[in-house]
Amino acid sequence: MQHHVNSIERSKDGQQAQALRIRPRWRMPVLKTVYYLLMVLFLVFYMLPFWGTVVTSFKTNSEVMTSTPITPPSRWTLEGYASAMEELGLPLMTSLLITLFGAAGSVFLGSVCAYALSKWRFKLNNVFFIALVAATYLPFQAILIPLLQNINALDLYDNVWGLVMVHSIFGMPMCTVMMRGYYADVPDALIKQAMIDGNGMWRIYRKIVLPNTKIATITVFVFQCTSIWNEMLFALVLGGYDSKPATIALNELAGTMAAEFNVQMAGSLILALPVLVLYIFMGKYLISGQMSGAVTAS
Amino acid sequence: MEQMTEFFENLRYMTFSSDRFWRIILIVMAVILCYQLLKRFAPRAVAPVSGFLSRHPLIWICIPAALLIYFVYVSLGWNLWVSVSDWQAGDLEASYGWGGFGNYARMFSSDSFWPTLKNTLLLFSLIPLCLLLGLGLALLMDQGLRGTAVFRTLILLPFALSFVVTGTVWAYMYRPTGGVLNSFLSMLGVDVSAAMKHGSLMWASSNRTIMPSIIIAMVWQFSGYVAVIFLAAIKNVPTNIINAAKLDGAYMPRIYLKLIIPQLKGAMGSCITILAMYALRSFDFIVSLVGYTTSSAWTLPIWMYNEAFQSNNFAYSAAISCFLLALVLVLILPLTYWTNRRT
Repeated sequence: MQHHVNSIERSKDGQQAQALRIRPRWRMPVLKTVYYLLMVLFLVFYMLPFWGTVVTSFKTNSEVMTSTPITPPSRWTLEGYASAMEELGLPLMTSLLITLFGAAGSVFLGSVCAYALSKWRFKLNNVFFIALVAATYLPFQAILIPLLQNINALDLYDNVWGLVMVHSIFGMPMCTVMMRGYYADVPDALIKQAMIDGNGMWRIYRKIVLPNTKIATITVFVFQCTSIWNEMLFALVLGGYDSKPATIALNELAGTMAAEFNVQMAGSLILALPVLVLYIFMGKYLISGQMSGAVTAS
Repeated sequence: MEQMTEFFENLRYMTFSSDRFWRIILIVMAVILCYQLLKRFAPRAVAPVSGFLSRHPLIWICIPAALLIYFVYVSLGWNLWVSVSDWQAGDLEASYGWGGFGNYARMFSSDSFWPTLKNTLLLFSLIPLCLLLGLGLALLMDQGLRGTAVFRTLILLPFALSFVVTGTVWAYMYRPTGGVLNSFLSMLGVDVSAAMKHGSLMWASSNRTIMPSIIIAMVWQFSGYVAVIFLAAIKNVPTNIINAAKLDGAYMPRIYLKLIIPQLKGAMGSCITILAMYALRSFDFIVSLVGYTTSSAWTLPIWMYNEAFQSNNFAYSAAISCFLLALVLVLILPLTYWTNRRT
């Protein structure tokens, strides 16, 4: 910014240069200090829960009882993690299975819908799209009872495959809305060319659209993975003991080990870690994906 | 290792125990396989079918469309019917006769109705709070300070967390004695124990401050996300316009107020819809922060869950969820209309 100002200042007459003095020189360092202070304040607000969690998770249980939660442990141990893994190990694997298959299913369904919606004109195109967008705002409580009946009728209560199915179906609208934006970027000329060469609709999809939108597909897949990994309501209602994913297990852990905060915090961190890593490295893409979905939706 | 074997045992049991589901899958697979084989070796036999499919490739869209219609729209209607059916309270077996609007009457006259509705609407105050804080953070990040990239990554992290994790962590934050927040305050020199004697600084443990506590925690989770979106939108404002304004002698605050913030309307609209969605789905969060049974923090989804899956009043809870749906329609539709009108 400073650079721009200087270059214009040097260029033309003095009147403009007068106008371009944005703020008095002495105020710059003061303002900067204020900004940095604000930044530090906000960082304290955002990082305090993380700090308390990390510090507590490395303490022994007796130290949790005696020390304040924000002081670092006198002796760093993994006790909390060991006991948390005892409770969470199995549910974590269940979660992983549900997440991978559920995300794959919803991305598959969503990409088929998105392809048809963005590249092919048909009669009910708009109706179908509006129905999909409306489904993204659906409060799941409003379909919970019929869903439970359906799952019971399919004999899938307390079964990971039931959860996989449910997540595939209810993740589909969001995936479609996200992918439609990406698929619209594939040039129509490419598809017309392929049509002239005599390729069918689904051949074009396999050979042209999918290979050209690999990164988009991965982004949507990862986004879907994070939201299924974090989901709790369906697992609570449709899953029982055998198909307990990690979110439910953590919630139960907080109930049964109410006093052992080191175990609770270690469990929280274990559950959060994969998603945090994904967001640290891919955060920008995930958010822009969701935003492009929201923008096309509205 | 033990858990590994248990997991695979569970998986094997779950995979092969449910006959009906797998029978359906097997039939579908067999049909596909037969079709492919016939197409390969006896194309004549399936010519009508394959011709039809190649003439109408969009027939495949019917599968996701059917899933959507059945599991969302038919289910909504089904739920509506359940709410007026004669499914008795406490009955696990469904019954679908006409039962009248008794459930709705009971809901509106229930003691928990108004507090619950108030809590649900109160949760929406999350939206202006997040927008304001997000805007402030975005403007702060736009100043070209050193360390902005790290700052942006860090404030985005809460958004990645599961509601369950946030709930568990903030339950620990909010503990009156031995919680992170109160220890931090006492480290800063606030006399926490004296304040607690007067009943303040009790956070989620007091009925008076339970909803503000929940909202603060949710603002913590979502404001960074809003800020990142706003920052991207600010960066999209063309620098030409800003330079032109500077030439005209505008000061930076004025440029922000008159030039940049009005251009954020699109981002703001989509943020509002996304935040409204999360506010309505805050079930997981409140449940893991204060539990199902804390009735002072009940919102409509939690009330509905309790009626349905704790006390088996399915018809009654269906009425509650229909009311929730109506509320969503009333709140979200104008919102989407408003954002639509812009673009």
